[in-house]
Amino acid sequence: MHDILIKGIGSYATPALKQTAAPTPSAPFGDMLKGAVQETNNLLQEAEGSALKVVAGDTGSLHQAMIALEKADISFRALLQVRNKVLEAYQEIMRMQI
Amino acid sequence: MDISDTLKVCGSALSAQRARMDVITSNLANADVTRTAEGGPYRKKIAVLASEKLKEGFGGTLQDAMKTVKVAEIVEDMSPPRMVHDPAHPEANANGYVAMPNVNVISEMADLIVVGRAYEAMVTALDATKNMAIKTLEIGK
Repeated sequence: MHDILIKGIGSYATPALKQTAAPTPSAPFGDMLKGAVQETNNLLQEAEGSALKVVAGDTGSLHQAMIALEKADISFRALLQVRNKVLEAYQEIMRMQI
Repeated sequence: MDISDTLKVCGSALSAQRARMDVITSNLANADVTRTAEGGPYRKKIAVLASEKLKEGFGGTLQDAMKTVKVAEIVEDMSPPRMVHDPAHPEANANGYVAMPNVNVISEMADLIVVGRAYEAMVTALDATKNMAIKTLEIGK
């Protein structure tokens, strides 16, 4: 236990000054959303492709197709949550009394 | 830690167990085969697994700790063939013994169960990962 009266403040490590990060040029929200939609779409197409391969009896393996489907499912759910949040915020603003 | 990394590891393990299952199936199917392209009876095959780095290049400690699985090679069991006394068999030698494959059907069946369970374990791990991701999406609901 440190005794502040005896040891003084010198023994305490001075907390490093919080470095304020240089403002990075952030992408607009619309672009981010577009990117997320694009990524989800890619995953869905990938899942569809591997599922089709399995059905067609091609070389595709069943578990890889299932994993691709799960990946697409999770990605889509995440996107849905983003959409819900955005819509919620929009409606909150629209309900504002002026 | 991305969820797709976990899915990748699970996928590689499932592929590896599938490969082991294929090898065991081949051993069982050829348990009584006395003629092969290489000559002599069929030899038991064994799948050797190896772990692989998940990602090349630099990465965090966790990324280094996570390894995917791959089938390194398929080796042959070089133990001597099982000699069965069957003078009527066309492959029988002068003493009436036939060289049968060195496949022990009972141990192959046991291996089959082990591989099936390992596969199930990976599917359970995958499901748990997925459930975790879905639970994460329920934050703030």
